[in-house]
Amino acid sequence: MVKTRKEVQHVVALTEPITAVEETTTVNNIQTRLEEIKNYKGVVGYILRNSSSASLDLKDPTKIIDYAIISSSSIDACQALSELFDLGQAKNVAVEGKNVKMLSFTLEENKISVFMDKNVDSERILKKLRAL
Amino acid sequence: MDSEIYSFALKTTLNEIQNLCPDIKNSFIFKEDGEIVAGDENTPEKTIVRVIDSFDGILEKAEALGGVEGITLESSKGRVNVCCMNGFYFVTVTMANADKNYVNTITRVLFPTVLKLVEKINPAPLKNESREPEPRPESHIPEAMAKPAEEMPIEEPRPERPTRTLEPETKPELTLPEPQINQLIVENIGGLLVPADTVRIDNETLLQWQELYEGRKIEEVELETFCGQSTRVKVKPIKDSKFEGKGIVQMPEKIQNVLEIRKGELIRVKPVIE
Repeated sequence: MVKTRKEVQHVVALTEPITAVEETTTVNNIQTRLEEIKNYKGVVGYILRNSSSASLDLKDPTKIIDYAIISSSSIDACQALSELFDLGQAKNVAVEGKNVKMLSFTLEENKISVFMDKNVDSERILKKLRAL
Repeated sequence: MDSEIYSFALKTTLNEIQNLCPDIKNSFIFKEDGEIVAGDENTPEKTIVRVIDSFDGILEKAEALGGVEGITLESSKGRVNVCCMNGFYFVTVTMANADKNYVNTITRVLFPTVLKLVEKINPAPLKNESREPEPRPESHIPEAMAKPAEEMPIEEPRPERPTRTLEPETKPELTLPEPQINQLIVENIGGLLVPADTVRIDNETLLQWQELYEGRKIEEVELETFCGQSTRVKVKPIKDSKFEGKGIVQMPEKIQNVLEIRKGELIRVKPVIE
């Protein structure tokens, strides 16, 4: 019995760092992909956040707070309305402004918003990020 | 055409749109200030209020995107689409397998056309509407009675309120108008000296009621939720100028509990005339 308990403890000790490494890898992958996307013509920036960290890169830093609120509100709204109308799992939300549009979605624990000019193909960006 | 009949026309349009396109599960319209203009018969007003609440954060900061033109939420089993035009937000909920192009044709072409047409027939409600959930004196019975005969047969849009039906032949012209109903947003009010049986609304609204009811002072109002809970309470004008003109009713927690309502929800408020 004592031996079995030791084995279990060992497994637990092993899995925790692996999960942490996987999460870091996912975040790094997303961030790398977002950096690529940011160089697309018409993309004005992105916000990436999860429970432990947040990173954002916007061409116009004066709009950071406004964009962060829109990003967070839109992801919350997407989840709330999916539940309210029984629409299943929330996938993504696009807010189209007169000048800029925003595409937001959740990838595992990561909440991502990409801001772009109106004429940019948001489907292409979504596919690129979903492919991760 | 007063604003209620205007809403009725839009509500009928929404129901017809759904008949035309059964893929649309729910549809409704609200204004920039959060006032509900019309909703189809499948969507309870409480649901609409929750949707409006959910969009609050986005719409408040929409200026950063140059103002919102549209919002699309995609989920595994369906889609919510919000189309903005002339200060109106038209919301449609569709199934995942709905024909996107067909739905878009309806939301982006047919609906704006109907809106323009209704506005053309009578521009007053559209002009009164914007950002002003304030009382609309033109919607009272004396004026309704003065309307041309062909407008009179139009039914009251809220059949659940039989007391408000138009009865031009039985009511003498000199009787007082029916109590005017305002839809206001609930706001908290607290503090040590706040009476628990009193709500506060815009002084302008109180003055308009006073004027409408031949100088009678309005001291009490009847509050009615969309779930049917109602109560009668005292009313006073809003003290804090930052809350004026926002279409709100400041309400102590005790009354909110009685009515099972909370901050941000809509409530019907009408003056008590005795």
